[in-house]
Amino acid sequence: MQLDPSDARECAAALRSAAEARQTVRVRGGGTKADPDEALPGDAVLRTRGLSGVVDHVPADLTVTVRAGTLLRDVQAALAERGQFLPLDPPHGGATIGGVIAANSNGFGTLRYGAVRDLLIGTTTALTDGTLARAGGRVVKNVAGYDLNKLLVGSLGTLGVIVEATFKVLPLPATRGASVSSATDATSAFARAGAIVRTSLRPTALVVDHERGAWRLVVAAAGEQAVVDRTLREAGGDHVADPDRLLVPLRDLLAAAAEGAVVRATIPLAAQPPFAGGVSRLDGFERLVADAGTGIVHVHLRGDDATIAASTVAAIASARVLGGSARTERVAPSLRRHLAALRTEPPGHFLMRRLKDAFDPRGILEPERSLA
Amino acid sequence: MATPFVAGTRGAVLHRGLVDLLGEEQVLWQKHDLQLYEYDGAVDTATPDAVVIPRDTADVANLARFCSEHNVPLVPRGAGTGLSGGAIPVEGGVVVSFARMSRILELDAANLRAVVQPGLVNLHLSTAAAPHGLYFVPDPSSQKACTIGGNVAENSGGPHTLAYGVTTNHVTGLEIVLTDGTIVRLGGKAHESEGYDLIGLFVGSEGTLGLITEITVRLSPLPEDKRTVMAAFPTMDLASEAVSAIIASGLVPSAIELMDQLATVAVEASVGAGYPLDAGAILLAEVDGPRDGLDDHRARIEELCRANGATSIRVAETALERDRLWAGRKGAFAAMGRLAPDYYVQDGVIPRTRLPDVLRRIAEVGERYGVRIANVFHAGDGNLHPLILFDGSLGPDVLRQVKAAGVEILRACLDAGGSITGEHGVGMEKNCELPLQYGPDDLAAMLHVKRAFDPAGLANPAKIFPTPSRCREFSLHAARSV
Ligand SMILES: Cc1cc2nc3c(=O)[nH]c(=O)nc-3n(C[C@H](O)[C@H](O)[C@H](O)COP(=O)(O)OP(=O)(O)OC[C@H]3O[C@@H](n4cnc5c(N)ncnc54)[C@H](O)[C@@H]3O)c2cc1C
Repeated sequence: MQLDPSDARECAAALRSAAEARQTVRVRGGGTKADPDEALPGDAVLRTRGLSGVVDHVPADLTVTVRAGTLLRDVQAALAERGQFLPLDPPHGGATIGGVIAANSNGFGTLRYGAVRDLLIGTTTALTDGTLARAGGRVVKNVAGYDLNKLLVGSLGTLGVIVEATFKVLPLPATRGASVSSATDATSAFARAGAIVRTSLRPTALVVDHERGAWRLVVAAAGEQAVVDRTLREAGGDHVADPDRLLVPLRDLLAAAAEGAVVRATIPLAAQPPFAGGVSRLDGFERLVADAGTGIVHVHLRGDDATIAASTVAAIASARVLGGSARTERVAPSLRRHLAALRTEPPGHFLMRRLKDAFDPRGILEPERSLA
Repeated sequence: MATPFVAGTRGAVLHRGLVDLLGEEQVLWQKHDLQLYEYDGAVDTATPDAVVIPRDTADVANLARFCSEHNVPLVPRGAGTGLSGGAIPVEGGVVVSFARMSRILELDAANLRAVVQPGLVNLHLSTAAAPHGLYFVPDPSSQKACTIGGNVAENSGGPHTLAYGVTTNHVTGLEIVLTDGTIVRLGGKAHESEGYDLIGLFVGSEGTLGLITEITVRLSPLPEDKRTVMAAFPTMDLASEAVSAIIASGLVPSAIELMDQLATVAVEASVGAGYPLDAGAILLAEVDGPRDGLDDHRARIEELCRANGATSIRVAETALERDRLWAGRKGAFAAMGRLAPDYYVQDGVIPRTRLPDVLRRIAEVGERYGVRIANVFHAGDGNLHPLILFDGSLGPDVLRQVKAAGVEILRACLDAGGSITGEHGVGMEKNCELPLQYGPDDLAAMLHVKRAFDPAGLANPAKIFPTPSRCREFSLHAARSV
């Protein structure tokens, strides 16, 4: 069954009918998320593309309100007409705004601009009881009531269907630039990245990339010419005028990696060198891309199932031992069941379970999707 | 199951139980002691049945278990500087003071994190981090007194959170104690953790979801340099236009604050910050970051101020001068004592473009109610702080009038598409007005969260959400039946 609501009320009504019929529902935005859970034969698929368009862009307030089915790239195009942008650069230009929020998809700009949770200031969400719940608003500062926006970021459609969202936006930077340089090993690559993190330069990307024995540091900057120049000078290496030339391949490479598994680890900053050094020696190691300013590290593993399984386990264990967490972001279907057994319940899982039961008492939304 | 304490008899029985559980040192119960915990920075008061000053998380968990067995409310308290009555025990119960849990447990410069106890005073953290070239961004004007636990509970902001985010953008780990005594550790030093963002939900929950016993915060590199500009304008309208122009120009100052003439006069008398007394409005703007380009930014701000009618501009040349300019702003609330015995501060937020017309409406409210209103606020993010001046000794009618004027101001903010609170919280001050901003369905969703964390309803009761007893017009029930 296919559900294609054309407005927020219709979306809420469709959810209520589904709940009454105990009909399971999968929510699909752009359909770009890595590793989507397959819709099972009995599932209804709710598509949000009918809920699209920019509702309100107030350049002087630096805010934009959009319907959740709008493609991120369309939002950027609309903002660019007025010289502004939404500082989110997740993989997949084809993602919808709702998908970006639900999957908490971020790119390399987090260090400078914050992540989805930091930029999202308001939401309207269709719930399974047929109501529309608003949280936050259109102002950049707001502590009235609980911050349900935060709960929705990364909730993977398990609590409700986001139908509208308001974000903080920024003026497009005057200048951009990037540099790439090589490093001898993990320690020196991360040490150089760490030195930049400790300045007030606030680069727009700070990436350590490791492949076939080579370590690279990619730094991007945006804003005033003087600051961009200095950032690139301190970063050293070869300059590249268009940062996207370096960053887009790095970002999309892992998302597009069809073979093997991609492990996504989030670890304390200083744990990156030992983590990177360790995983790069695992069997089947292919490539590592670390957002060195936030400690989010993607690891691509290849090989036969047994190799991938063993190395995935080792990478996840390493992240946990170092004070972080990790999960597989993309994995071959043949390995899914095996690796699912590795999932552990995150701290506070019982609270997450209670929240899920309160928002979706019949468990119709994205069943089996783990809360972790 | 133990019997609940009956109101009125709570005092003596509760006191004995708490002393048996935690020891004499940890429990206050005599009238003169309890009186010290009747108030916070706002205008409401209520007396607790007892005050407990725990030493560690285990004390807090034991206390919570005991209170849940006896159905006694728990009201966490930091420094009591809150401006919405958050730490006031409206329904009695135990006030939990975090004064003894005030240490920095770990200053982890390599990971840009600090692990602290909730009772730590905000400024102490930045002072301790400074030798490492780091600081904690949220800087409420009360930072010499308020605690990090209170900041997390209120999701506090400050003059410099405009560019770098409020408290919620700087917390990566929490240890919390639920009202049934369960200890839960969420997140840690990593950028984010798995599952729902329970930390994001807990920050700003005003003590109504449980008690915070440990916090892991992000530390940020100190800016390499700063430039601070003070501009005087003949009218508030012109100053507001200048703020809009600065925001629209693409500059992202770390702070943009405004102050009207009434406030300026009070501040000058008390602090002597050097603001011109004849100005209709004073604007303070700061840019910080890499030295390169800072002078250019400063020059552009000066230019935009002049283009919008600034009559005089001063740039702080030294750190001392900068501190003096900021001392005026940070001491503004305290300076109100020069104008009237009491003040009642509002905290509405509006889209930044609506500053001039909402400020005019606030002035009209003042005229209609015959009260003087001073304005000192975070203009860069549209967060207003109208200070309604009054004399509480003239009786309860005066306070009632002042509160009514406050509600009208909040309505003006909501009419402009804003919020009833930007950083001070809803507390017991504005809980009756929350339904003006959110409808029954919105509130119902928020209450799912309350019940998930605190099913017994013992965490800071009668805060945030309207209660039938205190909010005749706006009880949840009434709102639902509309
Ligand atoms: C002069 C002055 C200037 C101010 N300026 C600003 C400003 O610029 N920006 C701003 O945002 N605020 C400002 N405030 C308001 C106030 O200082 C902040 O809200 C501050 O964060 C409160 O901290 P506190 O320790 O005093 O908390 P309290 O007032 O003691 O408590 C505040 C709330 O936090 C809860 N709480 C405290 N500790 C815990 C805990 N460990 N666990 C769970 N809940 C807890 C309490 O129950 C209560 O609901 C100002 C206040 C004053 C008096």
